[in-house]
Amino acid sequence: MKTVELSKYLKPELFLPELKAGSKAAVMEALVQPLVDRGLVKGKSLVLETLSKRETLGSTGIGRGVAVPHCRTMAVSDVCIVVGISRDGVDFAASDKKPVNLFFLIVAPPVEGNALYLPILGKIVETVRDSKLRQAMINARDFAAFNKVFQGA
Amino acid sequence: MTRNQIELLVLYQDVDLMLQEAEGEEKTMGFGTEGREQLLKARADIAKNIDGRFLRTYQRLHTKFKRPIVPVQNDVCLGCFAKLPTSYGEKGRKDQGMYTCEQCGRILYWVD
Repeated sequence: MKTVELSKYLKPELFLPELKAGSKAAVMEALVQPLVDRGLVKGKSLVLETLSKRETLGSTGIGRGVAVPHCRTMAVSDVCIVVGISRDGVDFAASDKKPVNLFFLIVAPPVEGNALYLPILGKIVETVRDSKLRQAMINARDFAAFNKVFQGA
Repeated sequence: MTRNQIELLVLYQDVDLMLQEAEGEEKTMGFGTEGREQLLKARADIAKNIDGRFLRTYQRLHTKFKRPIVPVQNDVCLGCFAKLPTSYGEKGRKDQGMYTCEQCGRILYWVD
Protein backbone atom coordinates (compact mmCIF):
# COMPACT_ATOMS: atom_id res chain seq x y z
CA MET A 1 0.00 0.00 0.00
CA LYS A 2 1.23 3.48 -0.88
CA THR A 3 1.50 6.12 1.85
CA VAL A 4 -0.54 8.46 -0.33
CA GLU A 5 -3.45 6.00 -0.23
CA LEU A 6 -3.12 5.68 3.51
CA SER A 7 -3.14 9.45 3.96
CA LYS A 8 -6.73 9.49 2.67
CA TYR A 9 -7.70 8.01 6.01
CA LEU A 10 -5.83 10.62 8.05
CA LYS A 11 -8.14 13.51 8.81
CA PRO A 12 -7.61 16.76 10.75
CA GLU A 13 -10.68 16.12 12.89
CA LEU A 14 -9.26 12.73 13.87
CA PHE A 15 -5.86 14.13 14.87
CA LEU A 16 -5.20 14.80 18.57
CA PRO A 17 -1.84 16.57 18.97
CA GLU A 18 -2.08 17.10 22.72
CA LEU A 19 -3.32 13.92 24.37
CA LYS A 20 -3.56 14.48 28.12
CA ALA A 21 -4.65 10.99 29.11
CA GLY A 22 -2.31 9.35 31.58
CA SER A 23 -3.24 5.67 31.42
CA LYS A 24 -3.80 3.04 28.77
CA ALA A 25 -7.57 2.98 29.34
CA ALA A 26 -7.80 6.79 29.29
CA VAL A 27 -5.80 6.96 26.05
CA MET A 28 -8.14 4.45 24.41
CA GLU A 29 -11.15 6.45 25.48
CA ALA A 30 -9.64 9.72 24.26
CA LEU A 31 -8.81 8.17 20.88
CA VAL A 32 -12.28 6.68 20.42
CA GLN A 33 -14.13 9.86 21.45
CA PRO A 34 -13.67 11.77 18.14
CA LEU A 35 -15.24 8.80 16.33
CA VAL A 36 -18.19 8.87 18.72
CA ASP A 37 -18.56 12.65 18.38
CA ARG A 38 -18.78 12.33 14.61
CA GLY A 39 -21.18 9.41 14.64
CA LEU A 40 -18.63 7.05 13.11
CA VAL A 41 -19.17 4.32 15.70
CA LYS A 42 -22.39 2.78 16.87
CA GLY A 43 -21.41 1.88 20.41
CA LYS A 44 -18.49 3.46 22.26
CA SER A 45 -18.46 0.77 24.95
CA LEU A 46 -18.42 -2.00 22.34
CA VAL A 47 -15.39 -0.48 20.59
CA LEU A 48 -13.55 0.09 23.87
CA GLU A 49 -14.25 -3.45 25.00
CA THR A 50 -13.08 -4.94 21.70
CA LEU A 51 -9.89 -2.83 21.84
CA SER A 52 -9.34 -3.96 25.40
CA LYS A 53 -9.72 -7.60 24.34
CA ARG A 54 -7.13 -7.00 21.62
CA GLU A 55 -4.71 -5.75 24.28
CA THR A 56 -5.35 -8.99 26.20
CA LEU A 57 -3.91 -10.86 23.24
CA GLY A 58 -0.74 -8.77 23.40
CA SER A 59 0.06 -5.09 23.80
CA THR A 60 -0.14 -3.08 20.61
CA GLY A 61 2.64 -0.91 21.99
CA ILE A 62 5.26 -1.87 19.41
CA GLY A 63 8.13 -0.05 21.09
CA ARG A 64 10.14 3.11 20.34
CA GLY A 65 7.34 5.30 21.65
CA VAL A 66 4.64 4.00 19.30
CA ALA A 67 1.40 2.09 19.84
CA VAL A 68 -1.09 0.96 17.22
CA PRO A 69 -4.24 -0.09 19.08
CA HIS A 70 -6.50 -1.78 16.57
CA CYS A 71 -9.43 -4.08 16.15
CA ARG A 72 -12.16 -5.13 13.83
CA THR A 73 -15.58 -4.39 15.20
CA MET A 74 -19.09 -4.33 13.88
CA ALA A 75 -19.55 -1.01 15.66
CA VAL A 76 -18.03 0.77 12.62
CA SER A 77 -19.01 0.74 8.96
CA ASP A 78 -15.71 1.88 7.51
CA VAL A 79 -12.00 1.90 8.34
CA CYS A 80 -11.21 4.78 10.73
CA ILE A 81 -7.82 6.02 11.90
CA VAL A 82 -7.31 8.38 14.83
CA VAL A 83 -3.83 9.74 15.53
CA GLY A 84 -2.89 10.95 18.99
CA ILE A 85 0.30 12.42 20.38
CA SER A 86 1.16 12.52 24.07
CA ARG A 87 4.01 14.90 24.88
CA ASP A 88 4.65 13.27 28.26
CA GLY A 89 4.28 9.67 27.11
CA VAL A 90 1.99 7.01 28.54
CA ASP A 91 2.72 3.61 30.02
CA PHE A 92 1.10 1.34 27.44
CA ALA A 93 2.82 -1.92 28.43
CA ALA A 94 4.86 -1.58 25.25
CA SER A 95 7.20 -4.34 24.15
CA ASP A 96 10.26 -2.26 25.17
CA LYS A 97 8.55 -1.07 28.39
CA LYS A 98 9.07 2.54 27.35
CA PRO A 99 6.36 5.23 27.46
CA VAL A 100 4.38 5.75 24.29
CA ASN A 101 4.10 9.17 22.62
CA LEU A 102 2.56 8.35 19.25
CA PHE A 103 -0.72 6.48 18.88
CA PHE A 104 -2.50 5.24 15.79
CA LEU A 105 -5.94 3.89 16.55
CA ILE A 106 -7.34 1.77 13.73
CA VAL A 107 -10.82 0.33 13.76
CA ALA A 108 -12.39 -1.49 10.87
CA PRO A 109 -15.53 -3.48 10.17
CA PRO A 110 -15.19 -7.29 10.00
CA VAL A 111 -15.86 -7.21 6.28
CA GLU A 112 -14.61 -4.47 3.98
CA GLY A 113 -15.09 -4.50 0.25
CA ASN A 114 -11.60 -3.17 -0.46
CA ALA A 115 -9.78 -5.16 2.30
CA LEU A 116 -7.66 -2.26 3.51
CA TYR A 117 -7.42 -2.97 7.23
CA LEU A 118 -4.37 -5.22 7.23
CA PRO A 119 -2.48 -3.26 4.53
CA ILE A 120 -3.11 -0.03 6.49
CA LEU A 121 -1.93 -1.64 9.70
CA GLY A 122 1.16 -2.98 7.96
CA LYS A 123 1.96 0.35 6.31
CA ILE A 124 1.76 2.24 9.61
CA VAL A 125 3.99 -0.28 11.36
CA GLU A 126 6.49 -0.04 8.48
CA THR A 127 6.44 3.78 8.43
CA VAL A 128 7.03 4.27 12.16
CA ARG A 129 10.05 1.96 12.07
CA ASP A 130 11.95 4.84 10.41
CA SER A 131 13.38 6.78 13.35
CA LYS A 132 13.52 10.16 11.58
CA LEU A 133 9.94 9.96 10.39
CA ARG A 134 8.79 8.71 13.76
CA GLN A 135 10.40 11.59 15.59
CA ALA A 136 9.08 14.13 13.10
CA MET A 137 5.57 12.76 13.59
CA ILE A 138 5.89 12.95 17.35
CA ASN A 139 7.12 16.55 17.06
CA ALA A 140 4.24 17.62 14.78
CA ARG A 141 2.14 20.29 16.47
CA ASP A 142 -0.71 20.31 13.98
CA PHE A 143 -2.28 18.11 11.36
CA ALA A 144 -0.64 19.89 8.42
CA ALA A 145 2.83 19.25 9.87
CA PHE A 146 1.99 15.64 10.68
CA ASN A 147 0.49 14.95 7.28
CA LYS A 148 3.46 16.51 5.54
CA VAL A 149 5.76 14.05 7.31
CA PHE A 150 3.47 11.18 6.48
CA GLN A 151 3.11 12.15 2.82
CA GLY A 152 6.86 12.29 2.57
CA ALA A 153 7.30 8.77 3.92
CA MET B 1 -30.89 -4.59 33.34
CA THR B 2 -29.24 -7.39 31.43
CA ARG B 3 -26.67 -6.44 28.93
CA ASN B 4 -27.70 -6.18 25.31
CA GLN B 5 -27.47 -9.77 24.11
CA ILE B 6 -26.79 -8.87 20.51
CA GLU B 7 -23.90 -6.63 21.53
CA LEU B 8 -22.44 -9.48 23.56
CA LEU B 9 -22.76 -11.80 20.58
CA VAL B 10 -21.10 -9.18 18.38
CA LEU B 11 -18.24 -8.90 20.89
CA TYR B 12 -17.97 -12.70 20.94
CA GLN B 13 -17.70 -12.79 17.15
CA ASP B 14 -15.20 -9.90 17.07
CA VAL B 15 -12.98 -11.79 19.53
CA ASP B 16 -13.31 -14.91 17.38
CA LEU B 17 -12.11 -12.96 14.37
CA MET B 18 -9.28 -11.44 16.42
CA LEU B 19 -8.08 -14.92 17.32
CA GLN B 20 -8.21 -15.98 13.67
CA GLU B 21 -6.14 -13.00 12.52
CA ALA B 22 -3.68 -13.04 15.42
CA GLU B 23 -1.20 -15.42 13.83
CA GLY B 24 -0.96 -13.34 10.66
CA GLU B 25 -0.46 -10.13 12.64
CA GLU B 26 2.33 -11.75 14.62
CA LYS B 27 4.11 -13.14 11.58
CA THR B 28 3.83 -10.16 9.26
CA MET B 29 3.85 -7.21 11.67
CA GLY B 30 5.44 -8.46 14.85
CA PHE B 31 2.52 -7.86 17.20
CA GLY B 32 2.75 -10.02 20.31
CA THR B 33 0.11 -12.70 20.79
CA GLU B 34 1.34 -14.16 24.06
CA GLY B 35 -2.07 -13.56 25.64
CA ARG B 36 -3.88 -16.03 23.39
CA GLU B 37 -4.90 -18.28 26.29
CA GLN B 38 -6.17 -15.28 28.26
CA LEU B 39 -8.18 -14.14 25.29
CA LEU B 40 -9.71 -17.59 24.90
CA LYS B 41 -10.70 -17.40 28.57
CA ALA B 42 -12.14 -13.90 28.06
CA ARG B 43 -14.19 -15.25 25.15
CA ALA B 44 -15.50 -18.05 27.38
CA ASP B 45 -16.45 -15.43 30.00
CA ILE B 46 -18.38 -13.45 27.39
CA ALA B 47 -20.20 -16.65 26.38
CA LYS B 48 -21.33 -17.20 29.99
CA ASN B 49 -23.34 -13.98 29.81
CA ILE B 50 -25.05 -14.81 26.53
CA ASP B 51 -28.48 -16.40 26.58
CA GLY B 52 -28.09 -20.11 25.77
CA ARG B 53 -30.58 -19.98 22.88
CA PHE B 54 -28.70 -17.10 21.26
CA LEU B 55 -25.35 -18.79 21.67
CA ARG B 56 -26.61 -22.07 20.24
CA THR B 57 -28.03 -20.26 17.21
CA TYR B 58 -24.68 -18.50 16.75
CA GLN B 59 -22.75 -21.78 17.03
CA ARG B 60 -25.09 -23.57 14.64
CA LEU B 61 -24.70 -20.80 12.08
CA HIS B 62 -20.94 -20.78 12.61
CA THR B 63 -20.73 -24.26 11.12
CA LYS B 64 -22.08 -22.76 7.92
CA PHE B 65 -20.79 -19.18 7.93
CA LYS B 66 -17.43 -17.70 8.97
CA ARG B 67 -19.31 -14.73 10.42
CA PRO B 68 -22.78 -15.65 11.66
CA ILE B 69 -23.63 -12.05 12.61
CA VAL B 70 -23.71 -9.53 9.80
CA PRO B 71 -24.32 -5.80 9.70
CA VAL B 72 -27.43 -4.29 8.23
CA GLN B 73 -27.08 -1.03 6.35
CA ASN B 74 -29.88 0.79 4.56
CA ASP B 75 -32.14 -2.20 5.28
CA VAL B 76 -29.80 -4.55 3.41
CA CYS B 77 -28.33 -7.70 4.97
CA LEU B 78 -24.61 -7.40 4.23
CA GLY B 79 -24.27 -11.19 4.42
CA CYS B 80 -26.38 -12.00 1.35
CA PHE B 81 -27.42 -8.48 0.22
CA ALA B 82 -31.11 -9.24 0.53
CA LYS B 83 -33.35 -6.24 1.09
CA LEU B 84 -35.06 -6.49 4.47
CA PRO B 85 -38.51 -5.11 5.23
CA THR B 86 -38.28 -1.58 6.69
CA SER B 87 -40.48 -2.60 9.61
CA TYR B 88 -37.92 -5.26 10.47
CA GLY B 89 -35.27 -2.59 10.93
CA GLU B 90 -37.48 -0.44 13.12
CA LYS B 91 -37.88 -3.35 15.51
CA GLY B 92 -34.31 -4.53 15.19
CA ARG B 93 -32.77 -1.17 16.10
CA LYS B 94 -34.81 -0.84 19.28
CA ASP B 95 -35.14 -4.41 20.39
CA GLN B 96 -32.55 -6.48 22.21
CA GLY B 97 -33.89 -9.64 20.60
CA MET B 98 -32.39 -11.67 17.83
CA TYR B 99 -33.42 -11.14 14.24
CA THR B 100 -32.24 -13.32 11.41
CA CYS B 101 -32.17 -12.69 7.71
CA GLU B 102 -35.13 -14.39 6.03
CA GLN B 103 -32.96 -15.26 3.04
CA CYS B 104 -29.61 -16.46 4.44
CA GLY B 105 -30.48 -17.02 8.10
CA ARG B 106 -27.58 -14.97 9.52
CA ILE B 107 -28.07 -12.94 12.70
CA LEU B 108 -28.63 -9.26 11.94
CA TYR B 109 -26.98 -6.27 13.62
CA TRP B 110 -28.14 -2.80 12.65
CA VAL B 111 -25.22 -0.41 12.35
CA ASP B 112 -27.12 2.63 11.09
